[in-house]
Amino acid sequence: MLVVASVLASAAVLAQGTVTSADLLKPSGASWPMYNGDYSGRRFSPLTRIDTTTVSSLTLAWVYRPNPGNAPAGGGGQTVVTIKGTPVVANGVMYVSIPDHVWAVDARSGRELWHATWPSKGGWHIANRGVAVLGRTVYVETPDCNLVALDTRDGREKWRTEICDLEQFYYASAAPLVVGNHVIVGVSGDDLDIPGYLEAHDPETGARQWRWLVHPEPGSPEAKTWPSVEAMLHSGGMTWGSTTYDPELNLLYLGTGNPQPVINGRKRQGDNLFTESIVALNPDTGKLVWYFQSSPHDTHDWDATQTPVLFDGTIDGQPRQLLAQASRNGWFFVLDRTNGKNVRSTEYVRTNWSKGLDPKGQPIPDSAKEPQTDGALVSPNQGGGQNWPPPSFSLQTGLFYANATRAFSVYYLYENEDDEKPQGWGGNDRGGWSEAMLQAIDYKTGTVAWSHTWTNSSAVRSGLLTTAGNVLFAGDAQSNFVAFDAAKGTTLWHAGLHTSMTNGPITYELDNTQYVVVAAGDSLYAFALRGR
Amino acid sequence: MNRCLVRLKADTTAAATVLMVLAVSTGFAQGPYERQRVDAAAADRGRALYAKHCINCHGSTAKGTDRGPDLIRSSVVLRDRLGNLIGAAIRPGANHQATLAANEIVDLSHFLHQRVEAIVANRNARGPLPVLTGDPESGRAYFNGTGRCSTCHSPTGDLAGIATRIADPANLQQRFLFPTLRRGGKQVEATVTVGQQPPVTGTVVRLDDFFVSLRDASGEYHAFNRGPGITVVVSDPLQGHHELLDRYTDADMHNVTAYLARLK
Repeated sequence: MLVVASVLASAAVLAQGTVTSADLLKPSGASWPMYNGDYSGRRFSPLTRIDTTTVSSLTLAWVYRPNPGNAPAGGGGQTVVTIKGTPVVANGVMYVSIPDHVWAVDARSGRELWHATWPSKGGWHIANRGVAVLGRTVYVETPDCNLVALDTRDGREKWRTEICDLEQFYYASAAPLVVGNHVIVGVSGDDLDIPGYLEAHDPETGARQWRWLVHPEPGSPEAKTWPSVEAMLHSGGMTWGSTTYDPELNLLYLGTGNPQPVINGRKRQGDNLFTESIVALNPDTGKLVWYFQSSPHDTHDWDATQTPVLFDGTIDGQPRQLLAQASRNGWFFVLDRTNGKNVRSTEYVRTNWSKGLDPKGQPIPDSAKEPQTDGALVSPNQGGGQNWPPPSFSLQTGLFYANATRAFSVYYLYENEDDEKPQGWGGNDRGGWSEAMLQAIDYKTGTVAWSHTWTNSSAVRSGLLTTAGNVLFAGDAQSNFVAFDAAKGTTLWHAGLHTSMTNGPITYELDNTQYVVVAAGDSLYAFALRGR
Repeated sequence: MNRCLVRLKADTTAAATVLMVLAVSTGFAQGPYERQRVDAAAADRGRALYAKHCINCHGSTAKGTDRGPDLIRSSVVLRDRLGNLIGAAIRPGANHQATLAANEIVDLSHFLHQRVEAIVANRNARGPLPVLTGDPESGRAYFNGTGRCSTCHSPTGDLAGIATRIADPANLQQRFLFPTLRRGGKQVEATVTVGQQPPVTGTVVRLDDFFVSLRDASGEYHAFNRGPGITVVVSDPLQGHHELLDRYTDADMHNVTAYLARLK
């Protein structure tokens, strides 16, 4: 990676410090040291300076517009900056990324410290979800299948290593996760029928430590969910979502993506494990500990890569260690995170594609609502009830929040000579109508406790943040950034950005000032409540 | 586009061929930028070679049989550039018998890359979709009955000739399911009442949770911050269509498409 601009004050360099494993296990309110803020995936901040009474005093602290420079983007054309990742804040420095670019920005003032760029060999530049930090190293994935380590102080490259095969049409977009001495990375790619996997790499050298393949071992019982070994080895099931971690159980949790071929599932009868599943892995060995399938035998591209959010709760009067996912297919799942057993399965938006639940609590697809050559009207659409924008769980209200979309489209299966052996996609959805609503879900019952339908908003692509001040931050599709009373769902404050929010908001406190930072298109907006 | 002029030697001792390997810049820019750009004429020649030498083992669509592997899923094919790897792989030996000339290997590589590109592109339809599976008479009954389409639409009025204007039946299907408002036609309207003042009605310019702006019948612009004491009533001409999405069966959808497709 090349450092394009470096504007350093030596004081800023000395003040940066390092990030330790302890900092990641128990983040201070002065930081947001990983994609979801902490290992739980809750995006719930303990900060209380901003609360339901003070939020109306939020002011604009700064706006930062990263400049990608003049070099043309790989493949031609100019780089369009859309910030879809969550910034990371550690030791007073914020790290922001888009595909092939990382910027370090002072978290108090929004002034740029350095900018590193990557000359790309290809891969889909759909997004970069963010960086990870440990020690004095920033880790970032590139679309052309590299994991790159940069120095936090000046963005200089320390090392790079390949994490996927660009020639097979893999690419990489996920935010890495540091757990102990492992840098966990996920991969993407569904143009061809390639197997998904998750890897761990050494934080010092980049050497690969383990790889967990999303398909079962040939000959194992779960292999029976594929019609042949060849079909199974070309499973899909990409790992581009966010991984969460329970340090006491020492388990990683993630959701996997769609099976291959994506739309034409006629020659892959069976549940197609472990695609569209929530899985628990041992972070030191990469071995699978348990799985639950959010969407068996999916044919709608409903990647179940949404955050597996961890929290302790009460079910039927008993304390339980839980995990919840609001999945792309419109279903909300609550599981016991020690063993993957289902606790609740309910719809968080009305859907029309399933006919009940199997004995494990997994939805059963209605074959009539699989893609058809003359079209099937399906809800949700391919974009899903939830997509990549992150949810939030408030420890204060006990509610799981999903900024949801209720959508319809028509799924078509394409007839062609590939009926014998479909590959790739073999169909697609087309057109549609949708409405958007912020759902506050009671995990105990799986029902929606309160719902805020956004006026005149079709799909929303905004993530959520909750705080111990009982505030919930969200965005609509009309360029508004909004604060809600997290318990009641009443709106407390809003600001009109120049375009709609495009990432998940974060918060941190430095020098008695609590900042809330959100991205909209090419800009980062920092709002602040300054202490006396 | 990045262009590099590359001198490439084919696998045999034939003269080196100077070729352009152009970066592919597609809507979905997945895969390596510097991948082989398929020469259609060469691919046609390659298809004939494939039919002659390869098809019995590798199948009619190059996806393999039990006698030979799937070439779309072949690392050799994916990494190949203009035959540099394919040529080595098909040298006469245990699995392959034919000897191909250098230019034939290049043609074959164009054909195989064309097959890969066809799969990479197959989230896009390659022709009209066969949506006319419904019964037009049932569609007419739905139009006049359960669907209540006739409350706003007429086959001899606004829908006369619709199937000529929208010739592709799949587009017709999409259009009645998910219509959009057109400039010059009906628009979303709102009536805003502030306290005891007379209501203001107009075409919506902008509307969200916090703000509404309208143009009234005389073209005058009105804008309001929403809040207590302000009521906003919205009228969307497409509301009936949105509500039908929860009620159509797939049979209804196909029947209505078949009915509308007759209105030429």
